[in-house]
Amino acid sequence: MSDPNAPRGPRVILEEDTRPAQRLDFQWEQAVVPVAEPRPTVRWSGIGRVLGGGALLIGGITLIDSVNFVVDQFGRGMLEGAATLGVVAGGIALIGSGVWREFRGLASIRNVDQARAAFARGDLATAKAEALRWAATVPDGAALVPAIQAARTVDELQLALQPCMQSLEQRAGALGRSAAMQAFAVTAISPSPALDALIFAWRGVRLVRQVASLHGLRPGLFGTLALLRRTLWDAATVAATDVVLDAGARALLSNPLLQHVAGEVGAGAVAVRRMLRLAKVSAEACRITPTQ
Amino acid sequence: MSGLLDPFGLLRDAAYGAERFGRSLLGQERIRLAVTGLTRAGKTVFITSLLANLLAAGRGRRTLPALEAAAGGRLRGVKAVAPELHGLPRFDVAAHVAALAANPPAWPARTDDLSSLELVLELDRQSLFGSVMGPRTITLELLDYPGEWLLDLPMLRQDFAAWSQATLARLRSGPRAAEAARFFAFLDALPNYAPADDSLIREGAALYRDTLRGCRDKLGFRFLQPGRLLNPGPRGETPLLWFFPVPRLLQGELAEAMAERHRAYIEAQREEFFEPYFRRFERQAVLVDVLGALHAGREAFEDTADALAAIAEALRYGGGWLDWLTGVGVDRVAFVATKADHVPARQRDALSALLGHLVAAPQGRVASAGVATSVHALASVRCTEDDVATLDGRPVAAVRGVLMESRRSAKVYPGEIPLRPPEPGFWEHGFFEMPEFQPPRLDPAGGAGVPHLGLDALVAALIGDKL
Repeated sequence: MSDPNAPRGPRVILEEDTRPAQRLDFQWEQAVVPVAEPRPTVRWSGIGRVLGGGALLIGGITLIDSVNFVVDQFGRGMLEGAATLGVVAGGIALIGSGVWREFRGLASIRNVDQARAAFARGDLATAKAEALRWAATVPDGAALVPAIQAARTVDELQLALQPCMQSLEQRAGALGRSAAMQAFAVTAISPSPALDALIFAWRGVRLVRQVASLHGLRPGLFGTLALLRRTLWDAATVAATDVVLDAGARALLSNPLLQHVAGEVGAGAVAVRRMLRLAKVSAEACRITPTQ
Repeated sequence: MSGLLDPFGLLRDAAYGAERFGRSLLGQERIRLAVTGLTRAGKTVFITSLLANLLAAGRGRRTLPALEAAAGGRLRGVKAVAPELHGLPRFDVAAHVAALAANPPAWPARTDDLSSLELVLELDRQSLFGSVMGPRTITLELLDYPGEWLLDLPMLRQDFAAWSQATLARLRSGPRAAEAARFFAFLDALPNYAPADDSLIREGAALYRDTLRGCRDKLGFRFLQPGRLLNPGPRGETPLLWFFPVPRLLQGELAEAMAERHRAYIEAQREEFFEPYFRRFERQAVLVDVLGALHAGREAFEDTADALAAIAEALRYGGGWLDWLTGVGVDRVAFVATKADHVPARQRDALSALLGHLVAAPQGRVASAGVATSVHALASVRCTEDDVATLDGRPVAAVRGVLMESRRSAKVYPGEIPLRPPEPGFWEHGFFEMPEFQPPRLDPAGGAGVPHLGLDALVAALIGDKL
């Protein structure tokens, strides 16, 4: 038995106007314009709370103890009190300036992120402001200011920054080559692999900081850690490839003498390759424009 | 293949799992999103819309509000990964958007080759301490491919005899039998010990291919194997494809030659397509043209359900102890009814409910492996708006859009979408297709993304937890 409500296919009702119709317009471009900058939520992680609590305890109790100590010293005599106050104030000022430098170093790296985000989303005003701030911190940056101010689109702005970016990349490459030569030399004369690794790590950190300074950044301890983290994945990939190549080369050479010579030369070449790569990825991490 | 029988596969899985773990520690995660769907389910349009809207969201446009909410406003940028030295063609999202925006517009043609694209989503870290370490990145890897090829996946577990028996049984049932009449006449005329004559093989393969094409194009069937016979790809038809199912009675050289080619074909598909692209993935979107299946008749509707179940049965979702050991497995699967803009808003829930029934078997299989599943209705590119039409003197909810062929504006009443698989009386109508609509006005550069329905909710359900 047939169902009287069975569909007879979609019913198409043409409109009376027989001329080609305009395509539908949902005003999509206007609909997706952000009404307000989204405010990201920030939460304290477990490690953050532990470290924050530790810092508060150490800093707070030290401060309270210091104040009590200064008051006690004033009770003993004006001279003792003034001297203790001077020592405590000087110490706190030095610690404060160190913390301030760390924050400034971190803030400068966050500025790089903000600039990149502005370039990526095509926000000309923010990108221009970040580019002007950046131009004030890099050598030869002052010459770029008129071009930055004249840029009418983000692409034009990026084009204006391009020559300076290339020059910075070349200089980062030169720093990398210099570090690579030193790493190669150290690997050749070093008596132990453990010392190799230590010197290599120290030279790598120094290279990252040198490249960062080239780009107008002054990273402190945390800033350097943040930059190292950005370069870590690339460095780890290169290291993994190197381990495989090195193991393969050693496995292929059965002659003990050949194995020794080739192994040491191979290790030196690997060190050079890592340093050059580190210079390149550090430069990419410090660029204010997205990598092409 | 079981991990114990394939130790090298197991090692590769372990390396892949270790890489995933390392990446998650460093905040550099990679998600391989498998977009699976049968022919004409809308995979290419879906990937185009997803990529265009993600790139626009990276530029600060609110194209995917649900994803933005899932990210908590921390999505800082999205960029396409620069092409590197690998063999796959790059999915050209800009060209697809430009074709949709052109005048006259063009929907993507039938996909006939693999292409891929990777996007990097850059996100601020949520915790104050973590923010010291710089932004997190998530690399989203997507692959486009011909839907026909997916139907070869269940073939990997069948030998030639079992495949022949199942395929011939399917071809003998329902309306397929009429379409396969000439092929069956050819099989019946073969002597029991037919020789492996080249002209005979080519004639049989051509008749079998014509049968499959007829079933696909005239009847709307999808469970048609081998997929490459319908869509051979850029290399065209090769001798590897010249095989067809034979009855059990047939023995001798021809049957042996067919079995040999079947085995070679399976091996080639395994090596070139399934092992590299479908052995390991983390998220999956299963696209289904529910309306197309519904309108193609009862047999085609059930055929679609069977095809989806067979694919799900052949895919690897994890949950076993070897998967647990190697850290490989799927985390989330979303079943998606595409072309939801072809029905008015009040019927989209019914569309989702019907899809739920259609994919009950694969959903059960996936859920049994401990994978989170969800069901969605979406339009990758929204082409219509809701309207009211008058039919037989009574108002009905309809959609209005501009028809692709005539370029005239029309209201379309798609009929009532049943909430569950319909009663037999429902199917007593012929096979028909929904009219094709023109895409709406778009920015040819794609700077503001593409209008859609429900894409943001789907993407949030698939990758929101990682953001």
